Amino acid sequence: MNQERITIALAGNANVGKSVIFNHLTGMHQHIGNWPGKTIEKAEGTLQFKNYTIDVVDLPGIYSLSTFSIEELISRKYIAVENPDLVINVVDASVLERNLFFTLQLIELAPPMVIALNQMDMAAKKGIEIDHKKLEEILGVPVVPTVAPKHIGIYELLQATVDIIEKGNGTPSRVEYGEEIEEKIQKLSKLVAKLQLPYPARWIAIKLLEGDEQLERRVRQLDPEILSTVEKLSQDIQRIHGHSCSTVITSARYETAGCIARDVQKIVSPMTPPFRDRLHAFTTHRVLGYLTMAAIVLSIFFGIFTFGDFLSGFLGDFLYGFKPSFEIVFGGVIGELIWGGIVEGLIAGITIALPYLLPFYLVLYLLEDSGYLSRIAFLMDNVMHKIGLHGKAFIPMMLGFGCNVPACLGCRIMETEREKLLATFVVTLVPCAATTVIILGLVGAFVGFEWALLLYVIDLVIIFFLGRIAFKVLPGEPTGLIMEMHDYRFPHGRTVVKQTWFRVKEFIKMAFPLIIAGSFVIKLADILDLLKPITDTLSPITVVWLGLPAITGITLIFGVLRKELTLIMLATLLGTSNFSSVLDPVQMIVFTLVAMLYIPCISTISTLVKEQGWKRALFITVFEIVFAIIVGGIANRILLIANIW
Amino acid sequence: MELPLTHLKDSESGIIISINPSPRHRHHGHHNRGRFRKRLEDMGLTPGTKLTVVNSAPFHGPIELHVRGSRLAIGRGMAERIQVRVNR
Repeated sequence: MNQERITIALAGNANVGKSVIFNHLTGMHQHIGNWPGKTIEKAEGTLQFKNYTIDVVDLPGIYSLSTFSIEELISRKYIAVENPDLVINVVDASVLERNLFFTLQLIELAPPMVIALNQMDMAAKKGIEIDHKKLEEILGVPVVPTVAPKHIGIYELLQATVDIIEKGNGTPSRVEYGEEIEEKIQKLSKLVAKLQLPYPARWIAIKLLEGDEQLERRVRQLDPEILSTVEKLSQDIQRIHGHSCSTVITSARYETAGCIARDVQKIVSPMTPPFRDRLHAFTTHRVLGYLTMAAIVLSIFFGIFTFGDFLSGFLGDFLYGFKPSFEIVFGGVIGELIWGGIVEGLIAGITIALPYLLPFYLVLYLLEDSGYLSRIAFLMDNVMHKIGLHGKAFIPMMLGFGCNVPACLGCRIMETEREKLLATFVVTLVPCAATTVIILGLVGAFVGFEWALLLYVIDLVIIFFLGRIAFKVLPGEPTGLIMEMHDYRFPHGRTVVKQTWFRVKEFIKMAFPLIIAGSFVIKLADILDLLKPITDTLSPITVVWLGLPAITGITLIFGVLRKELTLIMLATLLGTSNFSSVLDPVQMIVFTLVAMLYIPCISTISTLVKEQGWKRALFITVFEIVFAIIVGGIANRILLIANIW
Repeated sequence: MELPLTHLKDSESGIIISINPSPRHRHHGHHNRGRFRKRLEDMGLTPGTKLTVVNSAPFHGPIELHVRGSRLAIGRGMAERIQVRVNR
């Protein structure tokens, strides 16, 4: 049979069950990547239906097609420029009005489309009955009711897709903005039609009247005169309506969405608060909410921490167990290079990243899918504001205590590039499990537990101040919290597992080569006897400024591979694990302080490269090295003057 | 009477009158001001819309609203700039 290849895109608000539909459609044939040059995830997959091979692209969840977030820009550009054969608009039936606001904008962008009226079961539970036939009639777009977790309506959705591909859309109805605005839209449409932009003329006209920055830039390059016409027309509208043109247009769209929603839905049951609502009230309560959150967050933290620690140790012992047999097979320098450079890099990746990454993704998707993530953001918004971030950043920060790698990846949940960078920077300063090993194993064991605790406090203070400084220095507008808190729902297990699996797979592909390359370089330097000259060169810093033995230079270099190595190497090089015989308390504190702050480990650096690009990864790394040295030296001097021991 | 949204008590309702520009960006030309307002409007907070305050997080945390059949959380700083009309 002749196979035809088509591309469809999934678009819709956040948390409407888009990812469940995507997983049903594509099964195990998925690829998770990034949108070119952006830190936004792009999920693609393929499926066979009848005689079609269908490529599915999952667009980010968004509420509008304006220019607020990169997600919005990516989505509208994808739909207009990449021109998918069809867009499936996933709509949450239980929050119809808000979702239709997006649908109406999508219709203006005029791709062939089908609507998946999803979460029909949630709507029914809320006592909302929707006449989907009527909705289809009003919008002029096929509407397929679906309950994604139960696989209801998925086949019909694909059938409707193929029907449209074969027969084409009718003419969808559109928002009418009222006579005086419509007349201006017509006028502008004619002007912009000549510009040959990839977007529909009516859409450009409307967006220009809304004051869309990106389109204004494009049009200014081609025909600046049009912009003065736009200016004049929108002032006319502002004069007539008493509100800015953008406000008038957005209001009209919501007005239409509201009318349609009221037309097609019927509230059938009296509004008694169901269990979901009571749970919501409980988990956002000003006292009980925080207690619940503390309990949940702490158990997640200790869960991941204990599990990760156990698995990491287990895998490490297991994999290092092969070393003797390896050395028998590959003797000599080559063997040393292969083991130390390649195998140990691999082990570092497997034992650091995976034991923490796997449970992290599971928990993150469970929290996100169920809706609890947004409640945490609600409760913690105020605290996170103190370091210039908003509530959503709390999750990656908390996870950073386990491992910085998933924490950096978790910064994706922030909305703007600026916030992503800010959160990532802050997160790399959080002391991870390996850092805790150093803090407790050196300072905690040989200087005193209260000093170990003090180091934690100092780190938190540093995070607070550096966060504030970065917040002030970084250009761009800080954004406050605006988010929808959708109803609690049961996470769809299979989707969560698949989401986790594909992201871990993606991480291995991206980060492992970097980790191995990094280890290889350090091991090569070791074999070529370059480490001694390097420590000698470093001795003005390590010996003079930090007051540490010169040999610590080597351990700090190896700490880049994995931070607890600094302690293990120190014991090997000093020939004892009774550190108090070779280091005095001041040296131990200074050493730990530097090890805690000085550089993200190679796994984290690889993640930084993946998330933020080479330049920013390099900047963060260099900054933290310099900063750690400065702080270490100052601490050294203060402690010497204080003369406690 | 007209008040900033932050002055509403829990379970009190009001109608949005206007969204004031961000004080931080008052001098940055109309784009920065527009972006903030546009974001709120895109989320359904257009003038004339009815909203109900459900809950507010303690220590000047965000405010939970019921608007257009959905539940929104809005940071305190943003909520301060939303003027609403209430019957008291």
